[in-house]
Amino acid sequence: MPASDQQSTGHDSPNPNDGTPVEEMSALQKNPERSKLPSGSMAIGRGQTAFSRRRFIGGQCAVLGVAALGNIATGSIFAVAGRGTRSDNSENPFAYRVDRFEQTDPKLIGYVEARRFKSPCAEPRRMAIGGDERIYLAGEKRICVIRPKGSVAAEIGLAAPPQCVAVANEVFYVGFKDHIEVYAANGKRKAVWETLEGNPYITGLTVAENELFAADSGNRVVIRYQLDGKIAGRIGARDREAGMVGFVLPSPNLDVETRGDGVIYVNNPGRHRVECYSVAGDLLKWWGKPSAAIEGFCGCCNPIGLALLPDGRFVTCEKGLPRVKVYNANGEFDCVVAGPESFRENARAGAGSTSDPARIGLDAAVDSKGNVYVLDRVTGNIHVMVPKAKSDGAR
Amino acid sequence: MAEQENRSAPVTRRDFLRQGSRVAALTGLGGVAGLLASKLKAETLVWQIDPAKCLRCGRCATECVLKPSAVKCVHAFALCGYCELCTGYFVPEPNELNTAAENQLCPVSAIKRRWIEDPYYEYTIDETLCIGCGKCVEGCHRFGNGSLFLQVRHNLCLNCNECSIARACPGDAFRRVPVSQPYLLKTSYSHG
Ligand code: SF4
Ligand code: SF4
Ligand code: SF4
Repeated sequence: MPASDQQSTGHDSPNPNDGTPVEEMSALQKNPERSKLPSGSMAIGRGQTAFSRRRFIGGQCAVLGVAALGNIATGSIFAVAGRGTRSDNSENPFAYRVDRFEQTDPKLIGYVEARRFKSPCAEPRRMAIGGDERIYLAGEKRICVIRPKGSVAAEIGLAAPPQCVAVANEVFYVGFKDHIEVYAANGKRKAVWETLEGNPYITGLTVAENELFAADSGNRVVIRYQLDGKIAGRIGARDREAGMVGFVLPSPNLDVETRGDGVIYVNNPGRHRVECYSVAGDLLKWWGKPSAAIEGFCGCCNPIGLALLPDGRFVTCEKGLPRVKVYNANGEFDCVVAGPESFRENARAGAGSTSDPARIGLDAAVDSKGNVYVLDRVTGNIHVMVPKAKSDGAR
Repeated sequence: MAEQENRSAPVTRRDFLRQGSRVAALTGLGGVAGLLASKLKAETLVWQIDPAKCLRCGRCATECVLKPSAVKCVHAFALCGYCELCTGYFVPEPNELNTAAENQLCPVSAIKRRWIEDPYYEYTIDETLCIGCGKCVEGCHRFGNGSLFLQVRHNLCLNCNECSIARACPGDAFRRVPVSQPYLLKTSYSHG
């Protein structure tokens, strides 16, 4: 207890940072409050990572020595601290600096913005592009169908906020927090699928010819559905005995994509990678590494969104350093679609500024020509990004 | 705006008890409320930081009349992702994810990192070391869930008539709160 307890508000104050009653993660995960879902409630909160768990544990005792040094250093920190005006904060000696990652090397940018338009609905979350090249945007309590140039073709009102959407022939699927609904192209609801058990929070959908996959951030699993709504399997679940860490989701941003070839692609943000599974649930391969540098996935948990280019490459979306990048089929960095300089307000917003992590960061969808539509969830802008080589024609 | 207000609603002792396990690690603060109330007049007001308004500018460390500051980092465990790569703990591009000094963001190594279960880690604040600089708060706010935030600790604060940090705060984040509800916490409740 600090020595200054007997000051003017003198009392014996317990340390709020004492005694976290968490002995193992399972206890933590059992706490329903921790994983309660952001929509309408609260914000919550790697296997072969680049680092092993033992290496982490190894350095624990070093902290005390470092802390002692830190205490000594404190005096000098105050000595250098600036005392600028109330609004001038350029002198912050404790500034958290990521500026060197906020400007993209122009040589790495492979796309150019052809146009930009505002989302017609508030709180846009995810989008998909249909065969007719129209954008299906999930936000507020509706699905907005938007023509490629930005005009609204249709709006479908919903009873609850949609989290994600997937488009197939003649129908589209809407992912709500705990269930999926099927809608005809004219907006008429055709089916309501069963409410998921456990702690569901559906945040990504993708549809193939005969099946649909739903990324459930709450239960940390991808659910394989038949198109009649029956559950055919669960993919990527944590399995301690088999040594499967599963999806690590500090925030609810699980996404899933497929080309309908029997393989699904899922982001695993807490492990900074993209994982490829067979529809039967076998982990086929994965790629990605943690890094704020352009080749990696930044922060604690990225990527938060995926899209697939027609030529086999991947599009990834990140938050914190909001950026959209392309990786080749082998998972090697290819180019930048748009860097943090394109999403300044998004970068400033920060996850800590909202009770709903699904309202920060970016999402992306790809049309049949390989143009990338980027949704800025903070500003509501949709940026239409076309590959540089063909940018003139697409304008 | 409603959200912001909700996020920063003063937390009474009763609220705390109701929230129970949600904010187990913060119950210390809740208990303090009753204690404070019994020692000070009911109408007494104390200074506190609204976490929704804080811009993590660093002045909480430099402007307090106390050195180190009466402002400390507080951790809302219920909001934490227990991330392996905690952006409140590690510098933006750490050499390795270990506790080596060069990898730690905190200038005084006030954050302790404890392995819970692969790949989850728990981060706790040693208030005796924390200087309230807000660097970890910014790292967590920007990349993480915003579970780290700053509060005036009333076991330390002198309750100056005019808080010198409040005078310099660019976010107008300081306000007077009743001594019976001395903390403005980020909790699952206030995130509702
Ligand atoms: S002075 Fe204000 S804005 Fe700056 S860190 Fe303190 S509370 Fe936050
Ligand atoms: S980074 Fe600053 S605010 Fe955070 S624990 Fe360290 S001294 Fe406290
Ligand atoms: S009231 Fe005084 S002691 Fe308390 S935080 Fe402000 S300047 Fe520091």
